[in-house]
Amino acid sequence: MSRALAYCGFHYGAQIALPAIGVNAQPVQLMSSGGLGLLWSEVEWPFVPGQMQRNALEFHEVVRHVFNQTAVIPFRLLSVFDDQQALAAFAAENQARFLDDLERLKAFVQMECVVYPAPGAVQAGSSSGTAYLEKKAVAMRSSEGFAQAVRNAVAHLGHEVRVREGKNGTRIFVLVERGRENDFRQTAAAVPIPSHLSRRISGPWPAAEFLSEQVKAPQIVSQKNAGAK
Amino acid sequence: MGRGRRILLSLMPNDFESVEVLGGEEEVSLLEILDHVLNYGVVIHGTLVISLAGVDLVYLGLNVVLASVETALNNLQIQEKKK
Repeated sequence: MSRALAYCGFHYGAQIALPAIGVNAQPVQLMSSGGLGLLWSEVEWPFVPGQMQRNALEFHEVVRHVFNQTAVIPFRLLSVFDDQQALAAFAAENQARFLDDLERLKAFVQMECVVYPAPGAVQAGSSSGTAYLEKKAVAMRSSEGFAQAVRNAVAHLGHEVRVREGKNGTRIFVLVERGRENDFRQTAAAVPIPSHLSRRISGPWPAAEFLSEQVKAPQIVSQKNAGAK
Repeated sequence: MGRGRRILLSLMPNDFESVEVLGGEEEVSLLEILDHVLNYGVVIHGTLVISLAGVDLVYLGLNVVLASVETALNNLQIQEKKK
């Protein structure tokens, strides 16, 4: 069974160079709708589980190809439509929202700093389960404090900052002007970090964390109706 | 050898020469890529419909990837500590 796999949306202009090959060596196709470009491929569905990692990297390459040139709205890897017509219906239904987000985000990329307890820092010297949990709680609180320090340090670079607490640490997302990625890296790396914490800086990424909720999880009437298939 | 370690080995840059972003970067970057591709971006309702229709293989594969990323990140952190 084949499906239409969507990669990303972007403000389509003739100056954008498009990738030729996507997931599973399938041709990447362009669908344009009122200035919105959507890249997609017809793929065999479902994916073979053993090839999922390769599929993920091929998918990333397609998105990255466009993202290197302009702002994109990425789809998640497993976003598939029944066929080209369903994708076209989606584009028509959502193009205004997509274009609004693309306009809002066009000058920015997403940079990230993840803060997490240093390896072994929590386990060391934990004589009991209670002691372990207490140490972990202290580490997490400290992580939040450091995240705030990073947030303050990059405030002048970030158009917008969001912080998410996860089970493995604190994740700081910063919307940075395209071209200032190194400023972010240097600033985030310069914030003193306690010895029991580690940090990982990454980016640039498409500004997926900063998409509007309607774009992140669009409600599609046509897709809902197709659910009984 | 844990599942996460296997992922790191199977995704070394030489295995994916077309993926230029991996060249010269740390292994953790690869895991970040997997995390972003699978966890960030537009979620289409239709995908959930397919899952409800009983096509579980994709989600089995997805769970394997996600679990492996988690494990691999933990392994990386332990390796960093040993250095």
